Amino acid sequence: MSSVLEFKGISKYFPGVKALDDINFKAYGGEVLAFLGENGAGKSTLLKVLNGDYQPTKGEYWLNGEQKHFSSPHEAIEEGISIIYQERQILLELSVAENIYLGRMPANGLGVIDTRKANRMAAEIIKDFGLPIQPTTKVKDLSIAYQQMVEIMKAYSRENLKVICFDEPTASLSDAEIDALFAVIRKLKSEGKIIIYVSHRMAEIQEIADKVAIFKDGRYVDTVTVGEVTEAEMIRMMVGRDLGDIFADLKRNDKIGDVLLEVKGVSSDYVKDNSFVLHKGEVLGFSGLVGAGRTELMRAIIGADPMKSGEVILEGKKIVNRSPKEAMDNGIVLVPEDRKLQGILSNLSVAGNINIALMDKHSNGLGVISVKQETEAADKGIRDFKIKTPSPDKKIVELSGGNQQKCIVARGIATNPKVLILDEPTKGIDVGAKSEFYNMICEFAREGLGVILISSEMPEVIGLSDRILVMKSLRIVGEVSREDATEDRLLSLGMMGDE
Amino acid sequence: MENKKEKSGFLSLIGGDKIILLVAIVLVFALFTILNKNYLTWTNMVNLMIAASLVGLVAVGHTYLIIAGQNDLSPGALAAFSGTLAALLLSKGLNIAVAILIVLAGGVLVGLFNAWMVNSIKLEAFIATLVTQNVMRGFAYIICDGKPVSISDKAYLAIGKLRFLTIPLSVWLMIIAFAVFGFILARTKFGRSVYAIGGSKEAARLAGLNPRRIIATCFIIIGVLTSIGGIVFSSRMNSGQPAANVNLEFDAITAVILGGVSFAGGVGDMLGTVLGVILIQAFNTGLIMVNVSTFWQYVARGALLLFALTSDYIRKQRREKELLEASMKNIK
Repeated sequence: MSSVLEFKGISKYFPGVKALDDINFKAYGGEVLAFLGENGAGKSTLLKVLNGDYQPTKGEYWLNGEQKHFSSPHEAIEEGISIIYQERQILLELSVAENIYLGRMPANGLGVIDTRKANRMAAEIIKDFGLPIQPTTKVKDLSIAYQQMVEIMKAYSRENLKVICFDEPTASLSDAEIDALFAVIRKLKSEGKIIIYVSHRMAEIQEIADKVAIFKDGRYVDTVTVGEVTEAEMIRMMVGRDLGDIFADLKRNDKIGDVLLEVKGVSSDYVKDNSFVLHKGEVLGFSGLVGAGRTELMRAIIGADPMKSGEVILEGKKIVNRSPKEAMDNGIVLVPEDRKLQGILSNLSVAGNINIALMDKHSNGLGVISVKQETEAADKGIRDFKIKTPSPDKKIVELSGGNQQKCIVARGIATNPKVLILDEPTKGIDVGAKSEFYNMICEFAREGLGVILISSEMPEVIGLSDRILVMKSLRIVGEVSREDATEDRLLSLGMMGDE
Repeated sequence: MENKKEKSGFLSLIGGDKIILLVAIVLVFALFTILNKNYLTWTNMVNLMIAASLVGLVAVGHTYLIIAGQNDLSPGALAAFSGTLAALLLSKGLNIAVAILIVLAGGVLVGLFNAWMVNSIKLEAFIATLVTQNVMRGFAYIICDGKPVSISDKAYLAIGKLRFLTIPLSVWLMIIAFAVFGFILARTKFGRSVYAIGGSKEAARLAGLNPRRIIATCFIIIGVLTSIGGIVFSSRMNSGQPAANVNLEFDAITAVILGGVSFAGGVGDMLGTVLGVILIQAFNTGLIMVNVSTFWQYVARGALLLFALTSDYIRKQRREKELLEASMKNIK
């Protein structure tokens, strides 16, 4: 009998977001089911609900005809559900065998651990997997790919393993390592396990998956069989409409002006020696892997992290930003990546958030804020940016993610900046709001702002930028013009540094 | 905007939590009046307010600090130090105004020191101010060799005895502090900034605020208010007492949390603190008047703080639930 995992009406709400909305579908044993969807579509949230990391707001899930409920990932693992995350969850100082049998090392009657037995058992699993590693090796001495294998073996070593989920497992693996991983996945598949595979990479999904469950904005769209549906169709299902059309319809700025911002040799504790220029009316994309230093470079430029060397020249004048406030006064504004922790001021209202940088303007000599001026300014921001809120007095956390983000952009624009830096501006917001942001970005450029756009979504960087800079290992390693930009080109620059 | 049909006037100012607080105050007054009929008398109420004034001044400072996501455990020691220092300076023949200025400057310095530990060596405020608590208690004993210093300066002694409209000066000071700092918190740039950094310091910094300066200002405010409290207290006692005011911060923090300020930061207001101070002082005075032993008073105060923290937790859970529901309404 093959295993079945069934989701029945699973919903998970966070303030401002329906992360999952009434999810219904089944996954079967002996199949690799890929989860496909954009960032924020709900794939990872669903995995976290499945393994007890999150509790669903509504709904239930059934494994082999039995309703399950886990209050922690530990309980889920005990019941045979394991998730292999992108970030390793293993202990680097312990050996391979100790990691595999962590918390359940074989012991004798007195409770003394029998390391030899553990090594013997681990050796068998390693042999099963056909890997060239030793049970006694410390995990920190293994490559990342093998560390991941240890995690998979740890899950596999439980006899009752029924469901194994991979969350972006290949993000940091080489081609050969990916092949080895796929061999292991095929082995698990042949043993009838339910395999869930989350990935952005279409080519991989085509290679390893049997079926693809498509998600969009927290909703389950459909499950399709690989080979029966084209890639383009899958993308359309996941995006809802053709991204190409959205980008083609944008009214881009065609008059790029003089040099606006010059960054020369900027280093901080987190980035090394970066130089670039930004023109008036230009959208300058920044591409690269997570951790390449894009965010950190911007933080150094605006003085959020101390700049160790280098200079920033705005409109021909050298400026020094020792704090984000100084950068703002000089005309450079950042809309940060982590909206929840770095963007919104969670205890303030919509008006308070939009106006925080304008308090000086809206207050008298004693620092008393004029409610009237503030409300007027907030109303203008709400109108200009089409922020959906019942009133300016609402707490910002009550708005949807996209509308929160608009408040933060409105806050930045209210300071009349010359340079606007957007760090992952559309992360976790729905497609409708995304296209609004795309239009907004083009409008800023048409008005003569210099826009820096950091985005991990390739179509977004390619579709919006006039030029794209690629960062790798804390440095800018290449520049690609709009005409030459393809996902492959950016990816290979971001991973290898050169072609 | 069409959403102005929310609770208006008094009710919206008071809110659900404040009504619960008012009911609690009434219950406490009723209970102790039943147990001791001298409880609800004008004289006792005035004494209650005098006793509340020191806690009240410190609680004003804690309201700022806790909303900003900080805390301070040093006020008890600082108040004792301030009173002792004032008495000592006066006994050396110093002019009263100069003595008071020096004591207040001491409050500023302690505030700066606390802020330095939090801002520059990134200590948790709880631990950092524990350092100050011990150091200042130590200095309080050191400067006077461990012995209380009696005060004979007439003008200084008058501080504790002066009355306007039958209400003692110390109570007026508390009322003024509530009003002035309540207004600053609710209506000014600085007040707004305090709420902003209570949510996320980094978000506030990226939005152009200076969290280090805001935190330092909050610590200075509580330092100065505590020193004022110490001066008033020593004047009332006719002496500077290095062993006095133990657990002052304990009562002030309890009052602030009872009043609806959250340890999570960013939430609360001054009106809540006013009610919290009244509640805790009504409770403490009541315990004394019905002859509960000092030892059991400690237990009772602990129980009250536990109650305050539990209600803080419940309020937080409820806020999150309400937030989730409200935000769902704004999403299709």
